[in-house]
Amino acid sequence: MKRYAYYQSCINESMTKEVDRSIELWQHDLGIEMVKMHESACCGGSNLDYVSPKHFALVNGRNIATAEKQGLDLVVSCNTCLMTIRSAKKKLDESADLRNEINEILRKEGLEYRGTSQVRHLLWVLIDDVGLDVIRKKVKNPLSKLRIAPFYGCHILRPSTVLGKDNPLEPTSLDMLLDALGGKTIPYEHKNRCCGFHTLLVAEEESLNVAAEALQEAMEQKADCIVTPCPLCHTVLDGYQGKALKQNGIKGSIPVLHLSEVVGLALGYSDRQLGIKRHIVTV
Amino acid sequence: MSDSTIQHHEESRDVTFRVHRFNPQVDSKPYFDDYTIRLEKGITVLRAINYIKEHVDSSLTFRAFCQAGICGSCAMRINGMSKLACTTQVWDELDKAREPGVIKVEPLRNLPHIKDLVVEMDPLVGKMQKYSNWVDSKMPEEQWGKKEFLVSEEEFLAYDKATDCILCASCVSECTILRAHKEYVSPAVLLKSYRMNVDSRDSIHDQRLAGLVQDHGVWDCTHCYRCQETCVKNIPIMDAIHGIREDAIERRGTKDTSGARHAEAFMEDIEKKGKLVEATLPIRTNGLAWTLKNLLPMAFKMVMKRRTPPPPPLVKASKGIDALRKEFKEMTSHVGKDHEKKSGE
Amino acid sequence: MKPFDIVIVGGGGAGLYAAMEAMKTNPGLNIAVLSKIYPNRSHTSAAQGGANAALANKAKDDTVEMHIFDTIKGSDYLADQDAVEVLCSEAPKIIRELDNMGTPWSRMDDKTIAQRPFGGAGRPRCCYCADKTGHTILQTLYEQCLRKGVIFFNEYFALDLSVDGSRSRGLVAMNIKTGKIEAFPAKTVIFATGGYAKMYWNRSSNAAGNTGDGQAITYRAGIPLKDMEFVQFHPTGLRKSGLLVTEGARGEGGYLTNALGERFMKRYAPEKMELGPRDLVSRSLETEILEGRGFDSPAGKYLHLDLRHLGADIIKSRLPQIREMCMYFEGVDPIDDPVPVRPTAHYSMGGIDTDNLGRTVMQGVYAAGECGCVSVHGANRLGGNSLLDILVFGRIAGRAAAEECGKFNPTSIPEGELAEKELELRSFMQPKGHYERYGALREELGHTLGMNVGIFREASKIKQGITDIERLKERFQHVRVFDTGDIYNTNLLQVLELKNMLDLAETVAAGALVREESRGSHTRTDFPTRDDEKWHKHTVYTMEGGHPKIGYKPVTMGRYELQERTY
Ligand SMILES: Cc1cc2nc3c(=O)[nH]c(=O)nc-3n(C[C@H](O)[C@H](O)[C@H](O)COP(=O)(O)OP(=O)(O)OC[C@H]3O[C@@H](n4cnc5c(N)ncnc54)[C@H](O)[C@@H]3O)c2cc1C
Ligand code: SF4
Ligand code: SF4
Ligand code: FES
Repeated sequence: MKRYAYYQSCINESMTKEVDRSIELWQHDLGIEMVKMHESACCGGSNLDYVSPKHFALVNGRNIATAEKQGLDLVVSCNTCLMTIRSAKKKLDESADLRNEINEILRKEGLEYRGTSQVRHLLWVLIDDVGLDVIRKKVKNPLSKLRIAPFYGCHILRPSTVLGKDNPLEPTSLDMLLDALGGKTIPYEHKNRCCGFHTLLVAEEESLNVAAEALQEAMEQKADCIVTPCPLCHTVLDGYQGKALKQNGIKGSIPVLHLSEVVGLALGYSDRQLGIKRHIVTV
Repeated sequence: MSDSTIQHHEESRDVTFRVHRFNPQVDSKPYFDDYTIRLEKGITVLRAINYIKEHVDSSLTFRAFCQAGICGSCAMRINGMSKLACTTQVWDELDKAREPGVIKVEPLRNLPHIKDLVVEMDPLVGKMQKYSNWVDSKMPEEQWGKKEFLVSEEEFLAYDKATDCILCASCVSECTILRAHKEYVSPAVLLKSYRMNVDSRDSIHDQRLAGLVQDHGVWDCTHCYRCQETCVKNIPIMDAIHGIREDAIERRGTKDTSGARHAEAFMEDIEKKGKLVEATLPIRTNGLAWTLKNLLPMAFKMVMKRRTPPPPPLVKASKGIDALRKEFKEMTSHVGKDHEKKSGE
Repeated sequence: MKPFDIVIVGGGGAGLYAAMEAMKTNPGLNIAVLSKIYPNRSHTSAAQGGANAALANKAKDDTVEMHIFDTIKGSDYLADQDAVEVLCSEAPKIIRELDNMGTPWSRMDDKTIAQRPFGGAGRPRCCYCADKTGHTILQTLYEQCLRKGVIFFNEYFALDLSVDGSRSRGLVAMNIKTGKIEAFPAKTVIFATGGYAKMYWNRSSNAAGNTGDGQAITYRAGIPLKDMEFVQFHPTGLRKSGLLVTEGARGEGGYLTNALGERFMKRYAPEKMELGPRDLVSRSLETEILEGRGFDSPAGKYLHLDLRHLGADIIKSRLPQIREMCMYFEGVDPIDDPVPVRPTAHYSMGGIDTDNLGRTVMQGVYAAGECGCVSVHGANRLGGNSLLDILVFGRIAGRAAAEECGKFNPTSIPEGELAEKELELRSFMQPKGHYERYGALREELGHTLGMNVGIFREASKIKQGITDIERLKERFQHVRVFDTGDIYNTNLLQVLELKNMLDLAETVAAGALVREESRGSHTRTDFPTRDDEKWHKHTVYTMEGGHPKIGYKPVTMGRYELQERTY
């Protein structure tokens, strides 16, 4: 059983509880265990960085140091948390001064940032550690009937200087996983585009236009559902779907699933078990 | 198969360019033309479409000038991505083609279309003007030419990379928010604004900043980083956008824009609870009235599905919040000292 | 359209500086800048190396005098010495002025503008911004023009000067976006349309639009051209595309080597080595190739520019654009491998004949920048002197026009002229009698010029060149414009540019043939030495019956006597 320090994203603790719930359901089937980091703090979204770069380094240095103390890699299932914590890690790894400054503070709590733990997305763990072949073998209920529109979201891809795993403009990882689960992914131009979440509260009209376009393309391509590895994308594409489509005069609707949910479905769990009933758009 | 045939096969092949055509004078809607030509490895997309223009179809229309990646004329979407045709190798694009051997060529997005691969650049120039994308010198014009400003290496480096921009509009074409709203300032204009604002010779920093924090300005960016990944000169555009935001919060506080308040709210929450209090985020970002009007109907639906974020008292503070709070304070005093040092210089 | 006080044709460094200075001189004037591309795309942006000025920031003992001497000597004594004096003494002022308005110059430790050595200069006096000097200067000027509210007519193609006897009424131009032919009545017109070295086509470092439009327009309107036979070849064009690897690469310490691995410049300029003046270095490369010491490849013979010993850090920090170009266009990373190079047509010393204020013989018509010929470059331009030329004389012409435009009464351009032009352009679209493709003609022109009127010239070859050009002009009558639409008709524009190049190519070849000596960039193998007695004079061309008629003009001398030019 390979263990990971599992970072608790704020949104997965409140609006999208189904993400963690479904991971808990199937993690052992795939030989992994996500150890919840109860002592972690909010990563600051992509906002804290420019309010105060040093607090930003401190909070996320502390998050990583907590994982390091347990000797585990830090795993997240929210794109923006991933990007944010990784960019803090990059800054800390590149600057000894910054490292020293936060360690001086963290030491009092018995923590030290050393840079030994990796910060990874759940999707990456599934592909790199569990392996697509293993996943393929474990699938009980292949998604073969589904035409899936993969939606990567931005912060698992960009900035590539921080993420650096997939091609930032032509990604393939999510497609590969969905393929292993037996699903059929459709060619889908919006798959690497933005959901609009981060301006939702600042420029709502713009944000929802962005979301509407992605939804529209998926519907036009006759997808049965959209799958995303990011709860923020999910919030916009699912929670705000009605409003976004209405604002743009588009008819219809399309279900949006979390990555963790489709993994669960393929491994044989029911939509009720996985919490899919919690979605706004009926699946 | 012998080695030489493999080599021969690699050296030249038929390539189809599927080019977006539209001449508003005669066409009622856009269509694609396929041109199949035999090409040798090592050729750029621009040279290929130049060949088509010279030898196959002279009416095919696109912009090109320097052919050396410096004038910014030839940006277009190649296989769906905005880039310079003159620095793009055909063979690289063949690897990415969705249909084997077919390279799709389309005009830039987010700017009005003129003909075939040509789009209107005036809106971009208009925005450069709107956001004062020029240095307004601290030195009065009558004194120009008499002595140089003294500029340190560090001051120079602050804007050096940003001056690489060739205004090709590739980033503009890929921008998420511009696509959603034509008034949006645009990544290239944010970059240029930043470049001007960090120039020690400029005198209208505050005025420019005041313009940038208005509607359709710097706070509308959704940090999708598409602009940065697209930039043909590898300019870290987001550093400029973050730079403007940092600067705005530092100099203007968080009162004047919802974006700034939004950012500040994160800081508050982490200090208090170590967690984001999402339920009150909209209120703090946009005020109560806005929240009631815009979010209540949705909230109703979300409550029905038990999806609303918990109200503040129910957000459990993260474990170890006391330690975190202390550390946060300590860092705040560090930052305070940094500021003193800076202003003492 | 309401008559303009000043219409500036061209939005490169020269045109924009002229516009700014004219606005500064008299803010009340009605000034327009016309450009066939957005101004910020002008070829000035391609200048990487830098601009010369005796600021004495780097070499404390540098003086304007030395700059003057280097320029005159570099010109092989064909430059007018009074003009050179203006150029060099204005230089420090203009560089500081650019700094004052926001140009991002690279800096030295003492925070002053950095300078580096450049070919043919006795002191390191080339001011630069990494290897994007022209680009940053052009950006700054464009930004400043926007700040000052200059009126731009972007993507307008100048067609003709409307002439009434001995003076101009203004300009006839085409709005590229609509295809409409429009009149720009103007008291004064300043041509700043850049050079004509693109006539060498694939063996040219120039942008596709450096087709000498301004020179051709004025030449056809009866204004003389000067010194057209002098075309500078840059020693280090990339083998495949002709694109340039700047002198900056050698300034930073790059070596030129041949197939035997020798730094062959020791044979030609033992002291200056790779930093000898351009014409000499170009000839040296060509000689190495002709004498069989070059490398061979399907794309032609070439030599090596070796930067490897500079190390990755210097290459990445000081020559990033050069590195990029080598990788994109030649597939070579200069950190790991030597770069294949050969000489490429680069700069046109000749141009519209003007006085020191940018005035032509026609009242109210001015020229500045690479399209003008004052002359400050004579038979050979020094690296870093051209940016300087366009800035200094762009500004002078702008001020002169602003001060003088009051003298001229506005006139209008007759409607008939526009209609006639329209008919002329439309005629290319008639299928009957029109069957030639412009692409083929353009390539053949470049080829014959490269072969017969290139670096090494001799009578029999030049005559071949002239015959070829005449034949091409004949074929041009049958060129077909296949795009019959009005909107953004680049097919038509490229045909018009070809016409301009053909007219000018004739002057280049004619001048090369009559000038029976070798001077600066003009090398006659059948007359290998400089002949001051017969040829210390400018050539001047006027159009007669569609062909050039050659006359002469004395060179203005000053403090510096004729000397042999050695390095
Ligand atoms: C690769 C390269 C590197 C160089 N490096 C250096 C260097 O390091 N230092 C140096 O001093 N010099 C250098 N030069 C030379 C220098 O860049 C040019 O001589 C100079 O920039 C010319 O400026 P300009 O303003 O005269 O013309 P350009 O910048 O060429 O501008 C011409 C303008 O005229 C307009 N135009 C042309 N025809 C028409 C028409 N028919 N209608 C309307 N508008 C028209 C164009 O749109 C353009 O705006 C270099 C040149 C090249 C090619
Ligand atoms: S990061 Fe901002 S500016 Fe850049 S593309 Fe996305 S929305 Fe546009
Ligand atoms: S920022 Fe980059 S992509 Fe955008 S216009 Fe400038 S050079 Fe082009
Ligand atoms: S043609 Fe100038 S950038 Fe491509």
